[in-house]
Amino acid sequence: MGVDIGKILKVKEMGLDHLSDRIIAMDAYNIIYQFLASIRQRDGTPLMDSNQNITSHLSGLLYRNANLLENDIKLVYVFDGEPDVMKEGTLEKRLERKQEAKKEYEKALEEGDMEKARSKAQQTSRMSPDIVKGSKRLLELMGIPWVQAPAEGEAQAAHIVIKGDAWAVGGQDYDSLLCGAPRLIRNLTISGRRKLPGKNKYKKIQPEMISLQDNLNELDITREQLVDIALLCGTDYNDGIKGIGPKRGIKKIKKHGSLEAVLDSIQEDINNAEAIKKLFLDPKVTDDYKIEFQSPDFEGMISFLCDEREFSESRVKSALEKFENKRTSQSDLLSFT
Amino acid sequence: MLHAEVKSETLKKLVDIVGTIVDEVKLNIGSDGINLKAVDPAHVAMVHLELTKNAFDSYEAQETELGLNLSKLEQFLKLSSSDEMVKIDHIEDENRLVLEVDKITQKMPLLDTAGMTDPNVPQLDLPIHLVIEGKHLLKGVKASQNISDHIALTAGPDGFDMFSEEDEDLVRLSLSKDDIKELDAPEEVRSLFALDYFSSMIKSVSGDTLIQLELGRDYPVKLEFDFAEGNGHVRFLLAPRIETS
Repeated sequence: MGVDIGKILKVKEMGLDHLSDRIIAMDAYNIIYQFLASIRQRDGTPLMDSNQNITSHLSGLLYRNANLLENDIKLVYVFDGEPDVMKEGTLEKRLERKQEAKKEYEKALEEGDMEKARSKAQQTSRMSPDIVKGSKRLLELMGIPWVQAPAEGEAQAAHIVIKGDAWAVGGQDYDSLLCGAPRLIRNLTISGRRKLPGKNKYKKIQPEMISLQDNLNELDITREQLVDIALLCGTDYNDGIKGIGPKRGIKKIKKHGSLEAVLDSIQEDINNAEAIKKLFLDPKVTDDYKIEFQSPDFEGMISFLCDEREFSESRVKSALEKFENKRTSQSDLLSFT
Repeated sequence: MLHAEVKSETLKKLVDIVGTIVDEVKLNIGSDGINLKAVDPAHVAMVHLELTKNAFDSYEAQETELGLNLSKLEQFLKLSSSDEMVKIDHIEDENRLVLEVDKITQKMPLLDTAGMTDPNVPQLDLPIHLVIEGKHLLKGVKASQNISDHIALTAGPDGFDMFSEEDEDLVRLSLSKDDIKELDAPEEVRSLFALDYFSSMIKSVSGDTLIQLELGRDYPVKLEFDFAEGNGHVRFLLAPRIETS
């Protein structure tokens, strides 16, 4: 998903304490997908209640958000609206891949290859109206505001940061940077370690901040040129040029100046390039949103999660304690003079 | 004006110490040495560092200010081994720093220091004073990092503790009076700190570095130590986390 320009961007690792009191506009779909993919049982089955309703996303939203709230980070979740028609190709391909992965998952299960089963199961994760509805309900109970984007969530999240209503976008995809987000924070909702793909090894992970302006300065390009590089490598709306990754992309853009000039020089074409660029440079966003932080409704959370979705009450309660009892806040050094 | 020669190690240490707080810093250059003061953007930690001219192999300077990008300097220093000599020259009309080490010369543009002011260092009257070896702090921090993002420092007439707690996990490093080089603690105090800040403040110390700590109750901690064979001195201040419930 998203654009793979991470290889050319400089990131700065940052402990959660550095984010205290900051408002982060979370790319909701991106984060929920991540929960749906990663929060599973050993054989790859998602967490479910006895009515076969998936609950992986609720578990992720509760426990990971509790960690962030405990550090006094203020969250706003931004949900996707209607996808642009140009994304249809990507969405169709994703669906095909998911169906393919489902077959492989079932085969791996039959063969008893649990590791493969889990890895294939992760690729079958799908968003459903029920998952979106449940996520919004839990956020409301947690006192976390959410915003409905007219189109792409990451574009709206970027817009909220540009307007100064939040400090950074939170999510794993780089698209929000292309949409002009001054800062992107990755790895916020991931637990302290990440499984290396295909291996049974883990790497300790830290939140990392990517500053758009610092990176543009470092690479000595404009945001428009960064978007051009993304189109060369491939985005959710186009396949990209075969053989061009971010590193070659930047060389070519710096040499020729613009996407059009690069395409001319290699005699290639990208369909709808202008319209795709516009989706990043001038995306459909709205000013019609409100960000209001509420106190969490602890009883409501217990009733929703434990009574309706069959979460263990003791585990939910211990998560709630994180932001109920032991709240500490970072003081300002200059207030001690 | 600045012409100087110094061991790469000394500059590396400076970058290590200051880089935990800021990426860009203003160096105040004087005829007797250099100093700097910096606070991180969130106002959680502050560093005050002094390096006398004795830390340098040669040092010739007139009062000036240099705006330095620490990550650029760090990259350059990676080209050298610790005991190699780095030559530093300030070209005033270009506002660039010329750095030379073992056949490599790098010209580095300096930052405009117009917007870079020294922060006001809070004057704190902290009741507890102690001196301990770096190894204890390093070990206490390592133990806490296994379970938590916070660390509580407590001290009193009987000793000094580093303590962390998270869910059901709990870890404590206890030093009795005998483990502590100096202890002046007429009362019991406790303050809680963000562990990532605290750990980065001590990451450049070695096991036998003597560290001076001053503590209060829900008050900033002051942490001081020497480096560059006693010709450098650093003071950190770290604001506490305050329990709100």
